Amino acid sequence: MVTILQLGLNGLALGAAYALVALGFVLVLNATGAVNFAQGDLVMAGGYAAAILASALPLPGLALLPMAVGAMALLGLAVAALAYFPLMRRPPTAVFVSTIALGLVLQNATLALFGPEPRTAPPIWAGEPLRWGSLALSGQALAIIAVATLLVATQGWLLACTRLGRNLRATAQDREMAAALGIRVNAMIALSFALAAALAGAAGALLANQFFVTPSSGGALILKAYIAVVIGGWGSLRGAVLGALLVGLFETVVAAAVSYTAASALLYAALLAILLLRPQGLFGEAAGRRA
Amino acid sequence: MTTAEPPAAPRRGFGDAALCGLLIAGLALYAATLASPYGLRVLTLAGCQVLLVLGYQFIFGHAGLLSLAQGAFFGLGAYATAILGTRYHWDFAASFSVSVLVPLAVAAAVAVPALRLASHYFALATLGLAQVALLLVLNAGEWTGGAIGLTGVPGIAVLGETVPRGLPLAATVWSLVAVGACLSWRLTHGLTGAAYAVLRSDAIAAAALGLRAGWLRFSAFLLSAGYAGAAGALQAHTLGVVSSETLEFSLMVTCLAMTVIGGSTRIAGALLGALLLTYLPEWLRFLEGYAPLAYGAALLATIIAAPEGIAGAIEHAVRRRARPPTPQRPLALAPRRSRPAALEVRGLVKRFGGIVALDRVDLAVEPGEIVGLIGPNGSGKTTLANLLGGFVEPDEGVMRLGSRGLRGLGADRIAREGISRGFQTPVLPPRLSGLELVALARTTTAGRIGFLASLRGADAGYRRRHLEAEALELLGGVGLAGEALRPCASLPPSLAWRLELARALALDPGLVVLDEPAAGLGAREQAELAQRIREIAARGIGVLVIEHNMPFLLPTAHRLVVLDRGRVISKGKPKDVVQDPRVIAAYLGRERFSA
Amino acid sequence: MSADLLELNELSTAPGTGAGLERISLSLRAGEVVALLGANGAGKSTLIRAVMGLTPSSGAIRLAGVEIGACSPAARARLGLGYVPEGRRLFPGMSVRDTLLVGARSGRRRAAEQLARILDMFPDLEPRLATPAWQLSGGQQQMLAIGRALMGMPKVLLLDEPSLGLAPMLVDALLSQLRALAAEGIGVLLAEQNIARALEVAGRAYALTQGRIVAQGPAAELRRNAALERAFLGADIALSSPDTTTQPESPQ
Repeated sequence: MVTILQLGLNGLALGAAYALVALGFVLVLNATGAVNFAQGDLVMAGGYAAAILASALPLPGLALLPMAVGAMALLGLAVAALAYFPLMRRPPTAVFVSTIALGLVLQNATLALFGPEPRTAPPIWAGEPLRWGSLALSGQALAIIAVATLLVATQGWLLACTRLGRNLRATAQDREMAAALGIRVNAMIALSFALAAALAGAAGALLANQFFVTPSSGGALILKAYIAVVIGGWGSLRGAVLGALLVGLFETVVAAAVSYTAASALLYAALLAILLLRPQGLFGEAAGRRA
Repeated sequence: MTTAEPPAAPRRGFGDAALCGLLIAGLALYAATLASPYGLRVLTLAGCQVLLVLGYQFIFGHAGLLSLAQGAFFGLGAYATAILGTRYHWDFAASFSVSVLVPLAVAAAVAVPALRLASHYFALATLGLAQVALLLVLNAGEWTGGAIGLTGVPGIAVLGETVPRGLPLAATVWSLVAVGACLSWRLTHGLTGAAYAVLRSDAIAAAALGLRAGWLRFSAFLLSAGYAGAAGALQAHTLGVVSSETLEFSLMVTCLAMTVIGGSTRIAGALLGALLLTYLPEWLRFLEGYAPLAYGAALLATIIAAPEGIAGAIEHAVRRRARPPTPQRPLALAPRRSRPAALEVRGLVKRFGGIVALDRVDLAVEPGEIVGLIGPNGSGKTTLANLLGGFVEPDEGVMRLGSRGLRGLGADRIAREGISRGFQTPVLPPRLSGLELVALARTTTAGRIGFLASLRGADAGYRRRHLEAEALELLGGVGLAGEALRPCASLPPSLAWRLELARALALDPGLVVLDEPAAGLGAREQAELAQRIREIAARGIGVLVIEHNMPFLLPTAHRLVVLDRGRVISKGKPKDVVQDPRVIAAYLGRERFSA
Repeated sequence: MSADLLELNELSTAPGTGAGLERISLSLRAGEVVALLGANGAGKSTLIRAVMGLTPSSGAIRLAGVEIGACSPAARARLGLGYVPEGRRLFPGMSVRDTLLVGARSGRRRAAEQLARILDMFPDLEPRLATPAWQLSGGQQQMLAIGRALMGMPKVLLLDEPSLGLAPMLVDALLSQLRALAAEGIGVLLAEQNIARALEVAGRAYALTQGRIVAQGPAAELRRNAALERAFLGADIALSSPDTTTQPESPQ
């Protein structure tokens, strides 16, 4: 019973971190119509940012988190400048390729600067496992869920209730009309990239404690984010979060029950099945059939 | 029987061929004289990469789809050869064939569902496939050696003799590369290449030409898989080992980088990209770990600044000095077949959400009749044109051309069945010449398009000249013969409408639907357009003209049909219709006002 | 030095869907409703889009004396152009309240005041503040689109065929709203296909055919202008004149 609870908690924690990645992915998708393949590598960069900051500054994980996130937001602006704006008028495949390229650059720059050994970031919750009767639950897992929930909620509030959020949504839904209303569309797009990177950075900092981070960690993450978004429905923020939670739970439970490899294999198989049978996912746009 | 002189066109791809020739000659010289055994080995491996990239060009460059499974197909080919070679001691011919067929089979299995997906899903599906392949290989340790891989893969054995390493092996591999390149050339130059160009740039234009988009994409995907399998097999023979690294994403990215940097639609591009990215790490040894970083940066720079890659940039520079055209013998052309048929539309309904765009519309066009469709803005005219063209499906009602039902056919099928649609803004692929466009349209009715057809020479050589001759005749019929070789993008509106008309006629239609054909034309052009429309009708083809321009339409049309808010409010002879009070009210907002 | 709020001088565009505009010159004063009349394809929408900067154009465009030809659409909106596009182009999932607020260019308090004023003008929207835009009726959507543009407190309001798809009674209500707006000092440029109604609300009008102005003047004058009818229906439809065009006979 305890293990199931702990397992579920771990699964949710993993899913919560994935949700941050997937959310950033969808933000950029909605704002630009383009797939940001570098999102996974941005998570990796966030993990490194947290690890490097930790070795330089003797601060607890919770204090380092905003700094890592801030640094990542700046990196997000760089991504927009290098991989998106020069290719704005080209077909979406071009941005797909440019973000693959940028991801590659990020990976290898990290490798060159910091070497291939895995790094960790300090935990958010450094204390003993929480005890509740005979249960001992990992504080870190709870902390991850808490932080992720806070971030998702903040982002939701930002989009729904603030002027900036309204402008972001307008830009995402009809760029030309948004411009005709006086919205500075390019600034909104850049901001979307910055937000996506910030969320990725937070996810990276959170994940880097339990799972070591290496320069190539980003690859698997982008696939998970992509899968989460397909399950939830392409373009749906709600769907991305839900899809990510499902992916995290599934992965954790199956890995514990069978093996990590089986979990991965089944996940991909499930992905292919979804694409075949219900490509619009839970909340998404109608299929996307070709012309 | 008419005779026509095929146009003397400079052969496309001259720059490409010249560049290839130069590179091959250089490599051969290097191999024969300067290369060390290690150098020859690198050269051989580069050859495998060339083959891989040639394959990728089919799906990524020509069909324009981002497939992320190319690395997986490569790996499957490599493992097939390794397993068959080390375990069962098959000889080269047999194991090579399996290495090509296995990826082909996998691609065929995955293609049908995957190609129906929109592009972002397709990339993901292929990525998922690649990951499954990797996991499979890592976990079938008994067969594949797991993470360690397989060693002791035999060399290429032909008739009992193993091809020695060094120059003979390099020559063997490169001979196969040459075969692949020639095949690729044959398949992608000519009208099939043009068909892919149209498909990439404008799906609607492709449908309007009647091109079978699904088949074109399917064959591209299969070819990419087959080439990748072959490349994998050759690499396995060359290295003697196979590891799971071949299935990792980094290999896929390298392949992508080679394709983009070299040039995604040119044979020389495959050569350049593969050679560059294989040799650069060798030359820049001192930069050791930075090679992938350099790839990434180069890939980014190329996709931004030189989307056609290095080969493309070179070819543009060379183009000015292309070989002058050679004159051709006149050809005898068969008479054009006509398929007169009456259009019958009854009770057509189309809803968009809560709005009824078309409400039980009835319409008929007899062969040889010119029917004008008019109505205020928002009346549903464009919706009707889209329904007739097959770009949208109706909710209720009957649509028939002759005895053939048209519902559910899809735009390209309808184009092949006999309804040609002319668009308000002509859908002309920018870089194609008018001649190529119309010849391409001819292939829909007069021949087949696609890789198999190219292979059989259906669109090359004699057949192609024939198609071009027919195209020229069509262009002459609209007064565009002199401008046949100009790229479509350079045609001003006063000429573009002629090309649009020729394209529509090239499909041997039974009915032509023209959407505001007179828009933007001066008085003289309009008079000529009207004349051409009358000529078309005189040939027994029905014409439906959607227009706002009354001075143009009224003298030309035999009958008018008036739509308002999705309903037909009047039909009949033009002079009667314009005096119908309901029509006046619809247009002017109230009954006619005058002092 | 004119008191013109909006002034177009020799405005031209390249041909795109339909004829390009050819050297259009027109003017609009504060408090005026000016109608642009013409069949579809004549260039009304192109003209509105060119003024808004959504279509490239050559020639001079002056808003309250300031040359805006080089400004981006967003800059033009901030300088005082309000845009109500053809088909409304509302943001589908956004609530009425959010849609209106998106149009605001000022700080929170002034936006709230402006919102209250818009709700006074269009009382139908008040009970529906939380409803997503796609659920509104055609007439309500049109009001919302106009309200959105008005939230930016524009000097000039550009409307592209607002009556499209609306029932006649709603069209009447809409157009009288425009008259009220003009009375408050805004300049209204109204592109309309519905000539009769447009000429009832406008003070002046320009008639366009094939990208050129073929008639202009006070609305009362244009109402009597037979050239207008000819421009639209291509035939003189006055009952008294005989039809002189020859009609081809249908085959068989």
